[in-house]
Amino acid sequence: MVLAWQEIKSNLKTLLIWAFCVGGLSLGCLLLYESVEDSIEGMAEMYSDMGAFSAALGMDKVSIGTLEGYYAIEISIMLSLGGAMFAAMLGAGLSAKEEEGHTTEFLNVLPLGRARILMEKYAAFVALTALFHMICVLLILCGFGWMGSRPDAGSFMRYHGAVFFMCIEVGTVCFLLSVWSRKKPIGTAIGLAVLLYMADLMCRVVPALERVKYVTPFSYCSGADIFAKETASVLSWGIGAGVTAAALAAAVWKYKRKDL
Amino acid sequence: MTNAIEMRELTKTYGRSRGIKGISLTVEEGDIFGYLGPNGAGKSTSIRCLLGMLHATSGEAYVLGYQVGRQQKEILKRVGYVPAESYLYPSMRAGDVIRYAARMRGLDCSGEAERLCRRLEVDRGKRIGELSYGNRKKISIVCALQHKPELLILDEPTSGLDPLMQEVFFELLAERGKEGATCFLSSHVLQEVKRCCRHVGILKEGELVKADKVENLTGTNLRKVKLSGVQKVPSVAGMGEIVREGEYIAFPFRGEMGALLQALQGLEIKDMLISEPSLEEVFMHFYVNEKQEGQEYGSGMAGN
Repeated sequence: MVLAWQEIKSNLKTLLIWAFCVGGLSLGCLLLYESVEDSIEGMAEMYSDMGAFSAALGMDKVSIGTLEGYYAIEISIMLSLGGAMFAAMLGAGLSAKEEEGHTTEFLNVLPLGRARILMEKYAAFVALTALFHMICVLLILCGFGWMGSRPDAGSFMRYHGAVFFMCIEVGTVCFLLSVWSRKKPIGTAIGLAVLLYMADLMCRVVPALERVKYVTPFSYCSGADIFAKETASVLSWGIGAGVTAAALAAAVWKYKRKDL
Repeated sequence: MTNAIEMRELTKTYGRSRGIKGISLTVEEGDIFGYLGPNGAGKSTSIRCLLGMLHATSGEAYVLGYQVGRQQKEILKRVGYVPAESYLYPSMRAGDVIRYAARMRGLDCSGEAERLCRRLEVDRGKRIGELSYGNRKKISIVCALQHKPELLILDEPTSGLDPLMQEVFFELLAERGKEGATCFLSSHVLQEVKRCCRHVGILKEGELVKADKVENLTGTNLRKVKLSGVQKVPSVAGMGEIVREGEYIAFPFRGEMGALLQALQGLEIKDMLISEPSLEEVFMHFYVNEKQEGQEYGSGMAGN
């Protein structure tokens, strides 16, 4: 796993910047809760009855007036979107950076085999994404501890597990894009992450777009849904797993046949 | 004797563009083979096909007895490659890149790497991004040689190296040759191929136009003569067509040098240049010779 380790080392700085930005922002917002607690409690009922806006953010399911609800509605957006953008950017850079930096010759004359090269890069991507979430979770738990509160362990773990899986799915699709490209498709990747988030918001608001929830991985990792003890449909999870596996298989297939 | 490299009708096209066309070539084990051709002739394409980076459109190739494409890992374990453009990871230190390449092979080559770095004067503490092209090239050479490969594939390895380092590089190559390694040296510098190769193959526009022993290729007594200060020279046996090049008159000459010098005596010559034919000129020789002897070769050369 020399290549995977090297990838982790070379992406460590980016990981720390993103993890401390997203995790730090989440921590900051958690700590802010104390100062806005009284006013938010007063507005919680109003927020829960704002029609499409409430439905889009899940405020009709959990109350923003509690720390846990505030976390599930407000902070989960930052974490999901930030995590997806980080995973998309990471996945998009892993393979294409070799072609863009012309280092593909150096790498591909080493006796690893193309499938192994790609799988080691993917392993690095999974490890970095996991590290990103671990740092964020640690910072968020520090925030809860500071506030003298503790989120429901089951919901908290299910939520972070779902976000991690969503990031893997988004990142794997971008990893496939990276294999297909000769230059890092960072813009496309981040755009894709934002588009999928927007799709989730839209399908919660517009009934005609309900089926879009099977397309966007944000549908199974909504903080509000998970903390409200709602379970995402098996189909959403299944499609997510299928897309991830298919994107990875397609990436390996393409990379093995590609002229470098 | 086994063949280190064998290409059989190897063809690579990029859509409608030509890459290489029907190359059949054999390099014996232990040989130092020069692969000559101007830029864009298809040298790097052939090499990339051998290394499995490009998939051949048709034909097949074997390296050290292993089939290219099917047994690529076995090939790459035994091959050291110096690319024409030495692109490495800019944020890594030179020493880390060298160690990384060895570790990716599952080997500890620290002893040999140390020796090579000393010979090539590699500063291992510097980051790749801070290094000049020549210094990056030296790191590529260390990475290619440190695991003592059976076959060295070198794509314009001396480009960017200063003359002293070129000297060291050719010493290293000769040492590896003595140890039994095969070298496949791609270049467009005729002199370096003449200097160290036993056999040579010439590529033009993606096709192999000649493969022969170096002495058969460069043993020609052809010279290019340029004179200034005179308008014409007496005719001497072996002299080709005279053309004007600015202040100079130039002509190809393949006769007795003594006879030429005698003929030039007494002329008011300001400057005289006698040079070996350039690669392109030798190239033209082999290319044109098959179709039209003599005069065309002379004109082609004098025009250069």
